[in-house]
Amino acid sequence: MAGEGSAAELPRKEVDVLKGHEGAVLAVRFNGDGNYCLSCGKDRTLRLWNPHRGIHIKTYKSHGREVRDVHVTSDNAKLCSCGGDRQLFYWDVSTGRVIRKFRGHDSEVNAVKFNEYGSVVISAGYDRSVRAWDCRSQSTEPIQIIDTFADSVMSIALTKTEIIAGSVDGTVRTFDIRIGRELVDHLKQPVNCISLSNDANCILASCLDSKLRLLDRSTGELLQEYRGHICKSYKMDCCLTNTDAHVTGGSEDGYIYFWDLVDASVVSTFRAHNSVVTSVNYHPKDCCMITSSVDGTIRVWKAYTN
Amino acid sequence: MESDEEDFVFYGTPIEREEDTSARKRKAIVEAGSFRNMPSWKQEVRDEEGRRRFHGAFTGGFSAGYYNSVGSKEGWTPQAFTSSRKNRSEMKNQSIYSFLDDEDIKDMGGKVLDTSLKFDTFGFTAVDLARKQAEKEQKNRPSAIPGPVPDELILPASSSIGIKLLLKMGWRQGHSLKETKANSLYDARREARKALLAFSGNLREQSHIEAGQYNSGEYPEMEADSVFSSQNTPILLGIKGTKILLPSPTSSRAVGVHAVSTAARGHFCRLAKQGEGSWLAPTQGGRIGLSLMSLTQARSLCGSLACVHLGRHHRKYAPGFGIGALEELDIEDEDIYSSGIEIVGTVVQEDEPSRSITTDGPRLENTKQGVLRGFRVASNSDYNLERFPPPVIPLDFKPHYQFASPLDTLDKFLEPPPPEVPPPEDESLKILIDGFANLVGRCGKIFEDLSREKNKSNPLFSFLSGGSGHNYYSWKLWEAKRRHSDQQKPSDVLSHPSDRSMTADTRGRILGERPLERSYNDSVKSDTLKDAVHFQTNLSDTFTKPAVLVGSSECAKPFQYDLAKQERFEQFLKEKYQGGLRSLTSGGADKMSEAARARERLDFEAAAESISKGEMKPTDSLHSDQNSIQPSNAGDWRFVSSAGGPSSQDEEKLSGILVPKREEFQWRPSPLLCKRFDIIDPYMGKNITCLSVICGYYAAHHSDFLTQMASLHLQPPPLQRPRSKMDTLMFINDSIIDAKSERLATESRESSLNVANMDLPLIAHSETPSSEQTTAEQLDTNLRASLQRPVDLYKAIFSDDSDEEDDSKIAAVEPKKRSEGANKTLNRLVAGDFLESLGKELGLEVPEDPRPHVQFDNAVSSSLAKAIGGQKDTNLSSSNNKASAAPDNFNAVMGIKEAQIHEPKPSGIVEKSVHSKKKSAKGDGISGRVENDLEKKEATRKHYSSSRRQRNSSGTDSSGEPYHSHSKSEKASLKRRDKKQERYHESKRRRSRGRYSSDASESELSDDAERSRKSKHRRHSGRSKSKNR
Repeated sequence: MAGEGSAAELPRKEVDVLKGHEGAVLAVRFNGDGNYCLSCGKDRTLRLWNPHRGIHIKTYKSHGREVRDVHVTSDNAKLCSCGGDRQLFYWDVSTGRVIRKFRGHDSEVNAVKFNEYGSVVISAGYDRSVRAWDCRSQSTEPIQIIDTFADSVMSIALTKTEIIAGSVDGTVRTFDIRIGRELVDHLKQPVNCISLSNDANCILASCLDSKLRLLDRSTGELLQEYRGHICKSYKMDCCLTNTDAHVTGGSEDGYIYFWDLVDASVVSTFRAHNSVVTSVNYHPKDCCMITSSVDGTIRVWKAYTN
Repeated sequence: MESDEEDFVFYGTPIEREEDTSARKRKAIVEAGSFRNMPSWKQEVRDEEGRRRFHGAFTGGFSAGYYNSVGSKEGWTPQAFTSSRKNRSEMKNQSIYSFLDDEDIKDMGGKVLDTSLKFDTFGFTAVDLARKQAEKEQKNRPSAIPGPVPDELILPASSSIGIKLLLKMGWRQGHSLKETKANSLYDARREARKALLAFSGNLREQSHIEAGQYNSGEYPEMEADSVFSSQNTPILLGIKGTKILLPSPTSSRAVGVHAVSTAARGHFCRLAKQGEGSWLAPTQGGRIGLSLMSLTQARSLCGSLACVHLGRHHRKYAPGFGIGALEELDIEDEDIYSSGIEIVGTVVQEDEPSRSITTDGPRLENTKQGVLRGFRVASNSDYNLERFPPPVIPLDFKPHYQFASPLDTLDKFLEPPPPEVPPPEDESLKILIDGFANLVGRCGKIFEDLSREKNKSNPLFSFLSGGSGHNYYSWKLWEAKRRHSDQQKPSDVLSHPSDRSMTADTRGRILGERPLERSYNDSVKSDTLKDAVHFQTNLSDTFTKPAVLVGSSECAKPFQYDLAKQERFEQFLKEKYQGGLRSLTSGGADKMSEAARARERLDFEAAAESISKGEMKPTDSLHSDQNSIQPSNAGDWRFVSSAGGPSSQDEEKLSGILVPKREEFQWRPSPLLCKRFDIIDPYMGKNITCLSVICGYYAAHHSDFLTQMASLHLQPPPLQRPRSKMDTLMFINDSIIDAKSERLATESRESSLNVANMDLPLIAHSETPSSEQTTAEQLDTNLRASLQRPVDLYKAIFSDDSDEEDDSKIAAVEPKKRSEGANKTLNRLVAGDFLESLGKELGLEVPEDPRPHVQFDNAVSSSLAKAIGGQKDTNLSSSNNKASAAPDNFNAVMGIKEAQIHEPKPSGIVEKSVHSKKKSAKGDGISGRVENDLEKKEATRKHYSSSRRQRNSSGTDSSGEPYHSHSKSEKASLKRRDKKQERYHESKRRRSRGRYSSDASESELSDDAERSRKSKHRRHSGRSKSKNR
């Protein structure tokens, strides 16, 4: 059926290997338009790449510990990153200098995101809190601390009006700023990573029982479960493809899985890395995917048809 | 005529008479001329007509610029600007003379104290000098090759290639080349010295000493040197320093004075004096740096230099005493400085210092061999190589470590257990033995010995010393001990983690990880407690993969001598090559200082590198390990959530498919966050409101809530939800109320019961199931209306206050306004509905979760049910109100609200009012009833107000209804206040929610309290008006 046809268009051809990180790469992210990507890893650096040409552009060094997450503003002007040194770094992309550091998390910071306007950085930490930081003012104090979580917060996603965070306490919490309410979806399994569908109606949550779960955001209903991969101990990313037709995610054995969104069947799987696939990220428009792994490489995948 | 003149109106400027102006001008010109002749301070600035003109404060009063001109004292030409860019003021080389006045210089007698390149111990400057010298010579020398070429091409190397290499390797000038190990000895000594100094309490000196140490870095073995930087050091301090230094055994031996040149560029000159005029500085380590300087006027020198006298004066003072330069203990001291010091300027290498030192006894002659000229062997050296005899090994010493009790007991159990003995007949003795054995098993043999000693005479304890029951006791003891050790084992392992070679299993056990091989339930049971303890480590460790590397790195253990370090190294390796996130601070590492950790990290780095280069190639194996991560391996450790306990997980597993549960809470985004997200703050202008709204309804359910409330009110805004109590309470939406009528019907009953149990002043209720269904149904619809309309709340609030009298009066007096008000409310309702639906259509997120409303509804409906229940026998039982039209709904709600508002009133009145409202809700339009009701209200006002303070108690007297069947609450007044507040906030909230949902009513709802009151009046009137229709 449709799965077969579209499987050919899945990014399964390795176009490039981006090498440079010493040690594990913990996250890799496309920028807003998908022309560049950013990676961060245990070597305490952030790296800016052009994945389509396979060029390493810049290295950002300032972190004292491993860097766990990075995000770039939609205008590509600023970066924010976080990691083991318990602070957020707010970078200027072009100069590579740290504009500001936000301190306040009591423990490692797992995830970081800019809001739509790049004016606020939202961070999620091992200290069971989500914090919002202001980039506009000079204040280095968090605007708000959300500490309703019962355990480490692993991942965050932002919409225009909401902050969504997944935590090891098995919940995905949606904080609606507009209405002023908190929705708690109990998944009962530690949530490793959450990502939004492109229409922002669904949340894909990667749980540590080796399942990805697709939730309907409006009702909190479980739409689908995707299984087959291994995800038991690592923080691993998952995402939907740009068409929202497939769900993709890495596995701890180095494989990449593609599931059909609707019937949850494994459409494709192949070995991408030698070791744990820490991060997968899909190009916002094209059929292109980047994956990073503990083996220190970032690989760029494109469809065979192209 | 004059009056005519006055009537004239003049236009334009009148023509001045010529004489006047010209006179003034002339005068001005004359004056100007005369001014020029005046001295400048007398000149005043005038305008062209000779009038003094004030320029204002900023322009210089009566004269601006230079006497109202742009000139200057020097004339018109401005001073030539000279740029200092190229013409910098010259850098002055500061010398000591810059700081000395003439007298000082005279005192110095023309002798110059300067740094000497000769004693530049590492020879950099000397080399430079030599090079310059060579260059100079070369210039003079006629070169074989004509032309400037060789001079330019062949330059003498400023520093040797060796030094360059060393520098590249990170060596710095002034540092020892020795390895860290060699340095460690020096470091240790330095530490000791520091400790000594710290002990002496003079921190400043310590810092100086340290500076000295830095300078003397190339003599790591030198002990006695201490160099004081001269520039900032007060001389007295330096002297003090020496005194403090002296007690150290080495320094007391040294005789020497170190003075630092004013430049203090790291060169230090050592002044040594021997006998009459020379200063000597023999140091322990074998090298003697000796430098003598011309020190003629010591006193003046001391004024500018720190001159430290180290060591003792060999002639006068007992060892261990130092003499400061300014310390005038003896005239001899002055001699030291006044007698000219001859410059010797030699560096002496002493090959075997130990010999000269250790040859104790009579003082050596100067001429004696082995002693340099000008040196003298210390008279009595207290440096004795103390030799300690090796410790005597006790005879019973076993070269194997005996572990403490747990292992000990373990060993014991390897012995065969004593034969099982039947318990003694005496039951009490048996119990005693059992208990005692248990105790001993837990506390150890000491306890037994103790009690044996204690209870020697007690026949009951004869079993301890071989009496009756001894066998049984020993058997029991064995049993108890085994039991105890079984419990202890895990902790035992914990306490000796490094005693065994670690396997993944033991390691996992130590860290409290849960191996997956075991059956799940088993592990849950056994590890539940430990999970709580080890949760953090467990969790963090799951990010890393502890087991993978351990095995492979076993082949290469570069830190075998230090197990803890080896462990850390393994950890490091793991972190280096593995992916996890949270690095585990393994044992001991957190006790280390940051510097030590850094150094160790470097060590590890080097070791890892060497391993990777080595033959064994463990890193390769690591990689291969990584490459072949088996699923089973990877799954050895698992995340454990703290929230969903293991039991719930089990349930999930059993049930198979998991169903996400959704909860909804109130959450207050900070205003700034809203601003940054470009969203209107949903809680704008509200502090406590949301909570209080909820509280208001919550209060209807939980009697203990009010106390909680009170405490909450003390705290500012409820940014966080109170977890325990409020979990069930949710955000109350103004838009949607689901059809929960059935539930409501039943729940309202229950809740009414609830309320009845509380001392909240609510209307009496008597349950009659027959009528309940209908009333509940009606209530439901009413409630919908009431919930949707923020309108009601004004009344809810304000009519509770004392000013409601006015309201009702106005309502009674101004019937005209009512129709107007009714129309408005109607419009508002319609508009509200419209907007709501519009909002839905536009896809604006409309909060929707019925649950909060259930709660909310319950609360309200309970009171309502009561109200209606209380009156049903009078007039409601017959009424089947199917209020469907909005105005009717509204009216009905009004009535109910009214009932709530007046709830503290005697129930008779309330009944009436409600009755009338119900009637109106039916739409029968009996306005008279309303009027009647209002009149009655007024009539009872006095009674009401008098009873207000004690509503709970006194409200009952007018009716026999059992609605106040509860004791007076002490918190009554508090509650009242809270309640009012709640209502107020409620209204506020409603209001701003109206704004949020862009309700049409917004325009009408002004923030102004007066206006709101007015609108309330209008509503009052509107109500009765609609009844009229």
